[in-house]
Amino acid sequence: MDQATTPQAEKELLDSLKVAIVEIDNERAREAARKVITAGIDPRKAISYSIKEAADEVGKKFDCGDLFIAHLVMVGDLMDEVSAILEENIPSDQLTKKRIIVIATVQGDVHSVGKNLVSVVLRAGGFEVHDLGVDVPSFQIIQRAKEVKADMIALSSLLTTTMPYQKEVIEDLTSMGLRSRFKVMIGGGPVTREYAVQIGADGYGKDAFEAVEEAKRVLA
Amino acid sequence: MAVPFWEILNRSKASPIVEEKEYDLALFKKTQELQKKFGIRYDPAKPLDVEGDLADRVYAAGRELFLDLGTYCTTTRRVIKFSAEELRMEVQSRPEAVEMGQGRDRVRMAHREVEGRQEPVVIAGIQTAPFSDEEMMFKISRGCAMDGCVDGIWGGILLKIDGKYDVVAGSPSEIYQYRKTTEILRRAIAAAGRPGMILFNNAPTSIATIALFDEEKGLRRSDSMEVTGMSELKVAYDDLNRTAFALAYGVPIHGAHSSTIGGFSGNPEGAAIAAVAGSLQLIAVQKADSFRCGVTDSRIKSRVSRAQLWAAGTAIQGISRNARLIIDGSIGDHPAAGPGTRQYLYEAAAGFIVSTVMGAHSTGGTRKFVVGNVPNYGTPLESRWMGEVCKGTAGMSRAQAEPLIKYLLDKYEDKLKDAPAGETFEKLYDPEGMEPIPSYRKIYDEVKAELRERGLSFRDEKE
Repeated sequence: MDQATTPQAEKELLDSLKVAIVEIDNERAREAARKVITAGIDPRKAISYSIKEAADEVGKKFDCGDLFIAHLVMVGDLMDEVSAILEENIPSDQLTKKRIIVIATVQGDVHSVGKNLVSVVLRAGGFEVHDLGVDVPSFQIIQRAKEVKADMIALSSLLTTTMPYQKEVIEDLTSMGLRSRFKVMIGGGPVTREYAVQIGADGYGKDAFEAVEEAKRVLA
Repeated sequence: MAVPFWEILNRSKASPIVEEKEYDLALFKKTQELQKKFGIRYDPAKPLDVEGDLADRVYAAGRELFLDLGTYCTTTRRVIKFSAEELRMEVQSRPEAVEMGQGRDRVRMAHREVEGRQEPVVIAGIQTAPFSDEEMMFKISRGCAMDGCVDGIWGGILLKIDGKYDVVAGSPSEIYQYRKTTEILRRAIAAAGRPGMILFNNAPTSIATIALFDEEKGLRRSDSMEVTGMSELKVAYDDLNRTAFALAYGVPIHGAHSSTIGGFSGNPEGAAIAAVAGSLQLIAVQKADSFRCGVTDSRIKSRVSRAQLWAAGTAIQGISRNARLIIDGSIGDHPAAGPGTRQYLYEAAAGFIVSTVMGAHSTGGTRKFVVGNVPNYGTPLESRWMGEVCKGTAGMSRAQAEPLIKYLLDKYEDKLKDAPAGETFEKLYDPEGMEPIPSYRKIYDEVKAELRERGLSFRDEKE
């Protein structure tokens, strides 16, 4: 810490970064991140405190209707930008690697709203998310998970007739000898925790916020 | 049609590629701008726009949104746009009425005015829900079709082929099983004495939906092709396949689009604006003859929260006042509460009253919002309720409807996130599927009496 940076000043700086993210004030957030660096504050503190707290607050605001999915997308973009500024100043051997999740709505199903929501909330929750979109075949999901070295595959299904594709991804992973390499979490309107257990998924999210907690639990 | 369907396809390939996220964020920003420009504000104390001026502004804003942003084609990642003149001609070229069904079961579905006396067309049945077996599907569908307040019924799906094999969208099993369920529907309406009744059915993929059309055993030209606009203002080639077939085969096209509160529409005002824009998309891009103008909420598994009633009702009213189009409201078709509960009846009533008063038909069927893979999660009595409320509300004024809606909201709005699950058909009906159990009938009669006391004049009392 810089000689001039008192614990009080450090707290104020970290809080100002958090607030700027919550208010989606890009310029102010970038400026606050740079100030954290010049003040000599450990950038890992800004990641573990300012960004995490901002993500939690944004999640709460979304849940009570003060923010919308578009805000979550913008917050996600801003967090990526701020993280990049902070991470440039962390030695590579001390960088905490983000856990990577590949998410998709399964084949035959074009419902996007729930999947989009989970995608942005996961991103705001600190995960690196690769959203493959809707109606995505099993092999394509697995291929991308391999390419990006994902930790988890998250699968959405809104129809009873597309739920079997969630099972198919797990079966394909098993037959390809990749099951132990990726955790699998499922969700969607007709999907239940019982079904997740039945098909051998590692996790289940009833809604977007439960999905974030579940992903953290499964990947712990 | 002002812009031929093949020109739509051409446009879907002609413009520059746009990233979906970029389009989504542009939609959000534009809906926020438009509500300021047109002075559109949602006041929770007024769940209905009883004057119509606000609805006119929502229509104007929705029209501007559609013209400005166009429709995003997820297949080609390009935007399909229209000029103001093209849109005007598309709207003018749509029919004011379509006739559906056959023989004495034929009905005319025409443009409805706000507060119009013309009874809305009601397509009931447990929409797209799973059934345990053929006998159960036949029994429940026959019961729904027997009701005189109902003009048509929806199909659902049998979860297993021969009680053994999964039905999987996009696989041959989807085609086989959706055809089979449509055959059951046809037998059910014949057994109900209404062989010419309208059937609605819709498989997840276009190939299976197209395969449903079979004049003898499946859907007929006198039924309808369901096309879907994805939320918000999006379309895929799989949706356009349905339009291509319907235009060639000569079957009326019914579209459905929902904007999402909390989604890229943002707040209720944005959702109302995007609901209008989505309806215009169904007309212009997907060539719908009639369309569902809907609003969902990303946080609530029901369609009848106060904000949803306002947003959908205002959008429907705006379209009805400004264009002679055939609108489907169906706001009460997906309650949070399950069958057999008072809350189901309250929620459904609120949605169907707003739909009807604002100038819409209701073709969305009946079902609990979330049924999962629980089979037989509904009964003919919900279809009767849908029909009785929709037909009974015809001619009601917005001013009469407003206190009734407030009364209903008071009954259920704080229970939407923790709604009673209700029961399946087996627990609510006699084994033959002809009559509800006395306790369910009692709830039904009591809720009906409550609404009657508050001014809803049911059809059997009008006659």
